[in-house]
Amino acid sequence: MSPPRLAIAILARALRRDPAGPAILGDLHEDFSLLCRKHGEASACRWYWRESLFLALSRIVRLPRPNRWTMRRMNAPTPFRSFAQDASYALRSVRRAPGFSLFTALIIGLGVAAATAVFSVVRPLTLAPLPFKDPGALVWISNVTEGANTSLSGVTSRSGNLRDFRERSTSFSGLTGYNAFFDQNAYTFAGDGEPQRLVGAGVAHDLLEVLGVDPLHGRGFTLEEGLWGGPRAVILSHGFWRQRFDGDPGVVGTGITLNQEPFTVVGVLPRSFDFSSFFTPGVKVDFLLPFPVGSETDQWGNTMVILGRLYQGVTPERAQAELDAIVTGLQEEQPDRWGLAAEVTPLQAKIAGPFMPAFLLLSAAAAILLLIVCVNVSNLLLARSPGRSREVAVRKAFGASRGRLARQLVLETSGVALVGAVLGGGLAWGATRAIARTRAVQVPLLDQTEMDLSAYFFAAGVAFLAGLLVSLVPALQVGEGAEATVLRTEARGSTRGRGGRKLRESLVVAEVAMACVLLVVGGLLVRSFREVLRVDLGFMPENAVAWQLNPSTDFRSVTELGVVTRSLTERVREIPGVEAAGLIDALPLGRNRSWGFRVVGEAENEEGRSLFPHIVAPGYLEAMRVPLLAGRPLSWDDNEESALVVMMNESGARQVFPGQDPLGLRIRLWDSREWEVVGVVRDVRHLSPEMDPGIQVYFSHTQMPDINTLDLVVRSQLPMDHAVGEVSSALREIDPSMPTGEFWTLEDSVDRALSARSFTLWILSVYGGVALLLAALGIYGVLAQSVAERSPEIGIRMALGASWQEVVGSVLGRTLALAAVGILAGGLVSLWAGRLLSTLLFGVEMTDPVAYGGMAVILLGVAAVAGLVPALRAGRIRGTRALEAL
Amino acid sequence: MTKLGQLEFLVLLSVLRHREEPYANRIRLDLEENAGRRITRGALYRTLDRLTEKGFLEWELEPSQSPERGGHPMRRLLLTENGIEAVRETRDVLDTFLQNTGPALDDA
Repeated sequence: MSPPRLAIAILARALRRDPAGPAILGDLHEDFSLLCRKHGEASACRWYWRESLFLALSRIVRLPRPNRWTMRRMNAPTPFRSFAQDASYALRSVRRAPGFSLFTALIIGLGVAAATAVFSVVRPLTLAPLPFKDPGALVWISNVTEGANTSLSGVTSRSGNLRDFRERSTSFSGLTGYNAFFDQNAYTFAGDGEPQRLVGAGVAHDLLEVLGVDPLHGRGFTLEEGLWGGPRAVILSHGFWRQRFDGDPGVVGTGITLNQEPFTVVGVLPRSFDFSSFFTPGVKVDFLLPFPVGSETDQWGNTMVILGRLYQGVTPERAQAELDAIVTGLQEEQPDRWGLAAEVTPLQAKIAGPFMPAFLLLSAAAAILLLIVCVNVSNLLLARSPGRSREVAVRKAFGASRGRLARQLVLETSGVALVGAVLGGGLAWGATRAIARTRAVQVPLLDQTEMDLSAYFFAAGVAFLAGLLVSLVPALQVGEGAEATVLRTEARGSTRGRGGRKLRESLVVAEVAMACVLLVVGGLLVRSFREVLRVDLGFMPENAVAWQLNPSTDFRSVTELGVVTRSLTERVREIPGVEAAGLIDALPLGRNRSWGFRVVGEAENEEGRSLFPHIVAPGYLEAMRVPLLAGRPLSWDDNEESALVVMMNESGARQVFPGQDPLGLRIRLWDSREWEVVGVVRDVRHLSPEMDPGIQVYFSHTQMPDINTLDLVVRSQLPMDHAVGEVSSALREIDPSMPTGEFWTLEDSVDRALSARSFTLWILSVYGGVALLLAALGIYGVLAQSVAERSPEIGIRMALGASWQEVVGSVLGRTLALAAVGILAGGLVSLWAGRLLSTLLFGVEMTDPVAYGGMAVILLGVAAVAGLVPALRAGRIRGTRALEAL
Repeated sequence: MTKLGQLEFLVLLSVLRHREEPYANRIRLDLEENAGRRITRGALYRTLDRLTEKGFLEWELEPSQSPERGGHPMRRLLLTENGIEAVRETRDVLDTFLQNTGPALDDA
């Protein structure tokens, strides 16, 4: 816990001549430590920055108190006085060209904001250590299953694995885990007022201990509470505790009622540990409860995410080797055991992994934009430099020293850059807040995003430095004793600045090339997005609203469950305007799980496959508008007394029964029961629009009552508000204490499934647009300047008989040539950079000609428009202008 | 007689009150808690500089082992003879004035 090093360095520098400096640093350090303990490190660091900068400023600019002695010296050129003079002169020249200054500041602001905002999002997940104790030692142990099983069941483990790893391994100081399917258990909280639906995550009793998280109040779970049938205890999330209990620490030790059962609140999580934002972004978690690790939960199959803390000095590779040996040993002892595998990944890599490609892309885009900004600012300043050279030459002729001139130019640029940086800071702050508040994107830790000050200072510093270096050009151009030459040539408007123009033209080419990269990437993503939107989801998301139901009673029998669900669907269907209603355990694009199965008649040694089970009530497929392709739909007559039947999706049926008519064929599940296929339906994109539907099997809920939650989907042409009101009251008629507040449209869930893609696309479009605008401005600036410089020459040409077309054509030609070189360079870079994108593309090749061609057309068009104004201006130059110049 | 501003007077008094631990952070806290004066760090250091320039205050750096200070030394502040004299003078002036004002202040 130490103050930001950069801030210390700045302050130490400002205090270096102050004999009391070390003590002052100590004073600040002491208060920092105090604040750290009281309000946390982040807030203390912010305080330190503020305090040290103000203090540094007040120690540097220690204005002398005016007394008789200083009054006498008022007119002598003290360092401070000459500085003040320069500053006021700089201010005057900024005021003389307000448009230029404002524009430069705006460009700098945009670049700084873009870089800061993206880095602020990326950093907590990728670069900053996770807020756990010694986070580098934490690993994620997933269950690797053969094939591309991307469902949760494919990476989670049986709780028996955790139990055995705990007993046998020596690499871990702690092994723990949580139930990854916790969102399939809902809890109704009956406090005072409306019953509230809560989500509780089941965790191994030692989760907090292994992660190194101390509860804010109370304690973690005990070993006893972690046993099957142990005392019922919960730990509240910080957010829920604040919202429902007004942050009262007294709630620890009291009882609450969940699903009509008493639970004791044993602790409250600290603000810094938001379970869901790490492990299940997008799903809120209101409390933790113990998940027993033992034989009872082992039979539920793959349910647990296993986390471990390595002993100091143990590498993940060594732990992997040890687990491999344990797995082999266990498999030999228990040949029947299934789902036994372990793959060790560092926790941070696991959490950030899926987002890395998009993050890398966004960071690269932000870096390119910042570079374009630097180039553009340099270009703008260079454009002014010939004029400034004249001014510099005059001032030099009157005796100004080179250092003094340089200082004045630097001050001028610094002022503009400072305004730009402040502007950028504001924009970045707004952008990060907006990003942190968005609920649409499921990125871990996103809701804890704060503006990253080091990124901000870095970006601002880069822009500042670029401007500073370029601003010195006029002072350097006027060499010792060269004042007269400069004045003469500048006055004549000669083409002396050819070297300068070459430099500026190459800058423009670079700018166009970089804009080109952003446009190609943007184009590829737009095309992918369109392809994703074109995917046939298999169901109709329009005009459908869904509810997550949570019946307050436990059903005594399957028959009772059937009676309630039937009356519920029928009651909802009676509402005028409702076209169809149905029930399923989990709607598409939401939660998922998978089960192993075999085809009846297949050899036993054949490797088992896995299917995505959907447990539905009759009417569901009609409500979703999933068409039946063959056979019959499930009906209310398919119940616990009748034969076991399922429906299958078409590509699943093709995979499972290649070349056969699936109707009448049977599969066997883990419970050894055999199920006959009676119907085939269209494929539904269940996991995400981009992912293969896989093998999907629909069970009747009265034959396979393995459901923890029920989603109701209602299709109607009624206005949303009306439909929601009607359905809610119908539901309460059936069960008065059922929470009905949680509903969403199917279109919402589609949007949500596309959110990460649209988020990336949105940011890139903004970047691409800004880059395009800056490139256009760069081209315009260079050409306008060059036309102005060359006007006597053009005048002479016109006088000698050059036509209007020739003059305009030559300027436009120059424009297009510059753009073409840029496009070529940019195109080549994009081809190389396209590899970064491969995982983000869908249905589009990296070398998509439409994206490349579109980029070239857009850039050439923009370049032509930008070059048109100077070209037309050149066409208006008359021969007399040549005479004026002579 | 030497003129002392109110803040300067309070600072000198506070240094006297904290003879055991006469450090800038204590003085700042004292002024804040007991005199209701919230002053910025910059203002306090400037006042200390001024009092030193006027010869009312002396200080010496004292090494500190406290991890909270990150290894930085502490500044032990000491009133000089002149400083003590200036505080006394100011007190006497205030006393005289207050005694003479007496009931007029309370009744007003």
